[in-house]
Amino acid sequence: MRSSPKRDIKFRLARRFDYESRSAALFILPVMSVLAIVAVFPILYSFYTSFFNLKLTRPHRVPFVWFDNYIKVLSDELFWASVSRTVSFTVMSVAAILVLSLSIAILLNESFRGRRLLSAIILIPWAIPTVANGLLWKWIYDSGFGALNGLLFQLGIIDSYITWLGDSDKTIPLISNSFVWKEVPLAAILILVTMKSIPEDLYRAAKVDGANVFKRFIHITIPSLKPGFMLVMIYETMMAIRHFDLFFLLTEGGPAEASHVVSWQIYVETFRNLSFGTGSAMSYILALVTFALAYFIIRTLGSKL
Amino acid sequence: MARILFDNVTKYYGAVKAVDCLDLDIHDREFLVLLGPSGCGKTTTLNMIAGLEDLSEGDIYFDDQVVNFMPPHKRDVAMVFQSYALYPHKNVYDNIGFGLKMRKYDAAETDRLVRDAAERLEISHLLQRRPSQLSGGQRQRVALGRAMVRQPSVFLMDEPLSNLDAALRISMRAEIKELHKSMQTTFVYVTHDQAEALTLADRIVVMKDGIVQQIGTPDEIYEHPKNLFVASFLGNPPINLLEGSIVVKENKTLFRKGDFTINFSAEVSEKIAQYAGHEVILGIRPEDVDEKNAAVFGQGIAGLVDTVLPMGSEQYLSMHIEGSEVFFRVGKELRHRDGDEVNLAVNINRLHVFDKRSTLNLIWA
Repeated sequence: MRSSPKRDIKFRLARRFDYESRSAALFILPVMSVLAIVAVFPILYSFYTSFFNLKLTRPHRVPFVWFDNYIKVLSDELFWASVSRTVSFTVMSVAAILVLSLSIAILLNESFRGRRLLSAIILIPWAIPTVANGLLWKWIYDSGFGALNGLLFQLGIIDSYITWLGDSDKTIPLISNSFVWKEVPLAAILILVTMKSIPEDLYRAAKVDGANVFKRFIHITIPSLKPGFMLVMIYETMMAIRHFDLFFLLTEGGPAEASHVVSWQIYVETFRNLSFGTGSAMSYILALVTFALAYFIIRTLGSKL
Repeated sequence: MARILFDNVTKYYGAVKAVDCLDLDIHDREFLVLLGPSGCGKTTTLNMIAGLEDLSEGDIYFDDQVVNFMPPHKRDVAMVFQSYALYPHKNVYDNIGFGLKMRKYDAAETDRLVRDAAERLEISHLLQRRPSQLSGGQRQRVALGRAMVRQPSVFLMDEPLSNLDAALRISMRAEIKELHKSMQTTFVYVTHDQAEALTLADRIVVMKDGIVQQIGTPDEIYEHPKNLFVASFLGNPPINLLEGSIVVKENKTLFRKGDFTINFSAEVSEKIAQYAGHEVILGIRPEDVDEKNAAVFGQGIAGLVDTVLPMGSEQYLSMHIEGSEVFFRVGKELRHRDGDEVNLAVNINRLHVFDKRSTLNLIWA
């Protein structure tokens, strides 16, 4: 006897979504609906906006312009200049974060007196709110009463106070420095956790095999750290590419356009020029690039490291 | 050539004595097994031979040279770890060849040695695989290959078979024994598995709480255990122990526990008559009873069988003697059932008597 098609479908649905998955769906529904409102909808809406010439200076005329916003952004020299600043900021920040966090992880992996205290101290920058961090560094870099000038002057390294953030060659490295300071603790902890999970027997075996400290580091520690390294690299690259707070707090893109990075330009375009269409288009370009970059890192470095 | 000598070696971890005044002479080309429960100091002892642990007191000699401060790679030892400790990011070939590479062997020589070792262990077809792609038994072979490829003068093994399933463990035991024969080097093997120790060892060192309990051939250890711990650690099912006392009556020395008595043989009586009145523990190995010749020995254990445990080739009988549970092993020809009455003859030449207080074997100590 053949069952009716209707019953058949019901049966198949019931089999695919058993009682457990159905009740699970019920439980995650509240969170999913909140996410849909505060995340999914804005993402889709800004994508929609990026195809309109939406300017709040003339809110009543919003023509559909196809890919014009994207073309406009991509043919804008200012945009490409800010891309190159974002790239240099990201490269120097991520490189510094990787080197410093690896060094700190190696240090904290050793047992010595005061290790716990030091671990706690190292975590402090991570616990400081971003705005507080920005104001802190603004004060340190201040040309009149900043701590950096005071320190270097008292040590006799500089003869007169320097306007640190006013020097367009120094702006990106200095902001990167503040960014690294805040990001290193988390990265170090992630790498330390990976390091702690390396079985001690591997080191013992390598000792018996005749590998010295350096060889053991190269042949065991480094390859075993790959997952932690990848995580830190992808996460910090994404953080650096999209970073906005410090540029806003320290320099507002200046002096002139020295720290005019993509995230800053998106802000200026959207909230100062009130041009939501091009702002959205720019955001989408940045998101796509970030996504592509993460994919590239996982694909190429992931297999080589 | 490698003779290893422990001269009064002690190892502390903080306040804990992991190894206590160890004196041990490991002969050249010997297969020595360190046997004991976990935490007895056997792995620490092995690590001290490898140079992976420092000594707190005493000296270790390789032949005539003190090696207390010699780093592992200069000791010409190879080690197989319980976890195998294969380098997860290297393939089998590089795992086996890593020690050679570190010792700067040239590429052609390395290649020849690695392939030789792989062939001997029948893993030639796995050389390009990563450890994660191998089964437990294959990983075990790679670990062995990594150790043997350098042809070390001392081969150290830390519970190498404990992660394998039972059938594989037995076949690997035979292979390790074969390996020892063909390599002609000193093997030091750590295990908590008495069956492994008995099958593999030339000599066994039984340890407990960092102290050596007995050193001897497998036969000596099994037949003449020096104390209660050694007797009960070896044997499966374990030796039956009955608390009682020694009584001398009408020129005969006998063991008594309540109504249960057993006469000792003339030879044994001579040795233990002096302990008359002492509280002792009598040890009877499960296999030291005979059902068919009960009449011949005349020293019987008669009683009811609580449970029969058939084991295929034999059967175990669970019984009670004066309130103590005991197990005996008998042939399977006589098919017993729960509740049967049996009369078992005890082989009185193979009894063990331990002093209750010192736990020393009064016959063999």
